[in-house]
Amino acid sequence: MNRTLIVRVSFVILALSALGSAAKIAASQQLANSPKPSTAKPATPSESQEGEKRFEAQCGRCHTPPQDLSPREAKAVVRQMRVRANLTAEDERLILKYLAP
Amino acid sequence: MFVRFLSLLLLLLSNAVILCSQTETPIISGGVQYLSTTTGGATVFQPVIAPVVAVPIGDRWLIESRATFDEVIFRENGTTGPWHALTFSSVDYLQLDFVANSHLTIVVGEFLTPFNIYNERLGPVWIHNLADAPLISGIGTRTSGSSDGGMVRGVAVSRKDWQLSYTAYFSALVNASHFGAGRTAGGRAAIFVPSKRLEVGMSYQRFLQDQHLNSWGSYLVWQPASAPLDLRAEYAHTRGGQGYWVEAAYRLSRYRGAESWLGRLQVVGRMQQFYEGTPSPEDVLPGADTQKVDFGLNYYLPHNLRLNTSYGRQFSSLGNTNIWNFQITYRFLFPLLPGGSK
Repeated sequence: MNRTLIVRVSFVILALSALGSAAKIAASQQLANSPKPSTAKPATPSESQEGEKRFEAQCGRCHTPPQDLSPREAKAVVRQMRVRANLTAEDERLILKYLAP
Repeated sequence: MFVRFLSLLLLLLSNAVILCSQTETPIISGGVQYLSTTTGGATVFQPVIAPVVAVPIGDRWLIESRATFDEVIFRENGTTGPWHALTFSSVDYLQLDFVANSHLTIVVGEFLTPFNIYNERLGPVWIHNLADAPLISGIGTRTSGSSDGGMVRGVAVSRKDWQLSYTAYFSALVNASHFGAGRTAGGRAAIFVPSKRLEVGMSYQRFLQDQHLNSWGSYLVWQPASAPLDLRAEYAHTRGGQGYWVEAAYRLSRYRGAESWLGRLQVVGRMQQFYEGTPSPEDVLPGADTQKVDFGLNYYLPHNLRLNTSYGRQFSSLGNTNIWNFQITYRFLFPLLPGGSK
């Protein structure tokens, strides 16, 4: 298979993928608009305090806390930091409670 | 082969953005920087944008990538002549992470070489306290600072009083544009004492192509709970030379709080020495024994803006130099999908 063909096939796959993605976005937004009971447990004050302590110890070694994070954004940030900073599952859970209670 | 793998990773990325959209939102974060450096009277301007994309998938997977786009604007003869501009771009990392448990995370793709702490943790423009990288930053990271292959990392032992973390990796030789890496293997181990906020670690790397060579290093990070002080230090050794740096940063947040006009100010000092060994053309190290001192004043503005200013004096048999830096950095973070900030 020559290089041009590979590039074209890749382009078609990416285009189909983007199309499918757009359809899924539309479906997920419709789903998000319907009222849904919340299943997330709110952080207790002690968990939030412990999370702050762990943030300062684990993350504060390199940087200051990010400002104005939504809970969904915080999940992505903390997952990334779990890998980069070698956080444990417990660290991830408590820091998330601190950043997005 | 590796480029095809990365193409597949990009394809996965586009689909993963959607798969995760209902519970966790993918984000784009990073930094925008404008840096002005005057070295021995010659001024260089360097605008940089470094976006980071993170796409969590379920509870265990993450795709993340960082690219850097920068331009170097300089005068033809250093201090005189017409201005020229060169544009550069690079993919710093593009990796797929699988978090198996607290003890093990598996990473494949292109990742930042985990040698000591500067390259992986302090390098981003929105994190480093001083604009200039340390003299020894080329040890263990070679030219690109990235590795292409696989890595395992995690917390080996976690106790209330201390933690032992580790990283081990293997990288293949890749010459593809934007994804260059050398054939290497190495690892890092560190002990962290949370009550003292003290971390001490060691790194090792074996360069496995051409002339095999070893690099090793150690580092220390200490943030005493009693003062807003960051103390960081690294030592690194390879055949091309050895050296160390020690940096202290004190934020004046004790005076009227961290959000007051005075509390936003940070004073930074760094000292470093490099001793030349047996140089090789592949090394990115000073060409002679070098000593350098830096003094900086940083100001943390609201809305994730930061001003960094610094003065450094470099002493070397190749010539002593004054280095002035002025840097403004904006750290951004947005959801990649609409509705992600709710």
